[in-house]
Amino acid sequence: MPFAPKPHSALLIVGHGSTENPDSSTPYFEHADEIRRRSLFAEVHCCFWKEEPSMREALYMIDSDEVYVVPDFISEGYFTQDVIPRELGLTGPTSTVRGKTLHYCLPVGVHPHMTDLILRRAKEVARDIDPSQTTLIITGHGTGLNQNSTKAIRDQVDHIIAAGAGYAAVRDAYMEEQPFIAGWDELSPTPNVIVVPFFISDGLHSYQDIPVLLGIEPEVGPAASQREVFRHNPHHLRGKTLYYSSAIGTERLIADLILDQISDFDQARKAR
Amino acid sequence: MSIALELRNLIRSGIHRIGELELQMDVYGYPYVLCHHEVAGLATKPSFGGLDLHEDPAAARDLSTHAGDGTYRFAKGQTNLKRGWVMALENEEDLRQAVDQFYPASVGVFLAFRDGTLEIENLRDKLNRQTGMYRFARTISDAGAQRLVREVCGPAHQCARRILWRIDENTPLEDSEASRYRGIIGGLPENEAIPLLCREACNHFVAECRKVAKQEFEKKEA
Repeated sequence: MPFAPKPHSALLIVGHGSTENPDSSTPYFEHADEIRRRSLFAEVHCCFWKEEPSMREALYMIDSDEVYVVPDFISEGYFTQDVIPRELGLTGPTSTVRGKTLHYCLPVGVHPHMTDLILRRAKEVARDIDPSQTTLIITGHGTGLNQNSTKAIRDQVDHIIAAGAGYAAVRDAYMEEQPFIAGWDELSPTPNVIVVPFFISDGLHSYQDIPVLLGIEPEVGPAASQREVFRHNPHHLRGKTLYYSSAIGTERLIADLILDQISDFDQARKAR
Repeated sequence: MSIALELRNLIRSGIHRIGELELQMDVYGYPYVLCHHEVAGLATKPSFGGLDLHEDPAAARDLSTHAGDGTYRFAKGQTNLKRGWVMALENEEDLRQAVDQFYPASVGVFLAFRDGTLEIENLRDKLNRQTGMYRFARTISDAGAQRLVREVCGPAHQCARRILWRIDENTPLEDSEASRYRGIIGGLPENEAIPLLCREACNHFVAECRKVAKQEFEKKEA
């Protein structure tokens, strides 16, 4: 269903950002540009935890009285459940902060349509290979601190299997917890392997750390904007053919998921 | 009144500078033109004096991400903005969007400061909210933090912002070039520039606090 324009509301996209990696915030600005081009909101802004503007500064740059806040995060977790509400002063799904009404939507990564984007990305990165001879691995950070980040990936694995996409195997794997992405070849019973990083940006983890864990790179290299690793697919490693995609959040269609989360929020609000 | 119209009125009243940006009106049919203040003379010449012309305010992000020598500008208040470009814009909404990409939230923060509604966040509050590896930053001593302001902030260290915060409510910043800085580049009077305001310590400063806190801890342990 097409998104009903909100000409009197603002959209605030919240991202993590980085003080060290210039590529970290690129997808957020691209998603904002994409939505701005469609003229659906009175204004579209981004704010960050580790870049400027900070979440605490964000409301100073917004004119509209009604603001939809969408975390451009891959999963529910510490940031979406603790940090963002605290920084923006949110008290529930809808809050009044400094005279403005803020609607807090779910993070983009948990929207059901995310599965379609992963499958699309997997097809793009390995166009001509037979899914029945291929393992699809969704990889994330993984942390003992919060189970939600791994849950989001496990959910995607379940959705992809249920969607009947034809892959011989679909697996989850993590940087810092089992099953480890470093053992991708042992996780894959097929000659072909596609790895899709479940991150918003091609920052430190997906562009610099994971290629080392996969064996594509001997050591952590420079930031993505200075190199072209993804164009070197496929990689012939450990007796298999490996296709490594860019982070799922760099997909322009994430802009649609942001709008989907807003539509879902409004539906849920009507039902409340 | 919208922030864009406030900005328009400020420019009409004689404001022409924010950070390193020079803001000009009515140049070759464009209502608003902005560029690095050091090449402002070129911007009014035919063909904008050979400066690279940008008409999309979204280009401000690319123009402000790296310095002229290619280094990442990790803080937007850094005084190493690229030269060689000019941005010509159709209306004050585009101008506002561009300025907010060069100096995020700067106009809105200034308007709130002017109107007495800006909430300022002292350093201890900022450090106490840090997570993960930055959590340790909160252990920095007051003396260490005061020294860092002198060594990290202010125009001598490539930051153009006027610091509004204190260490905590009862501990103002010690007098220094950094703590005295007005947030206006080029010594312009206050009626000609929007100052860049620092309402909370930036993440670069937080990262530096963490380094000093670790050094202080290691010294104590030794």
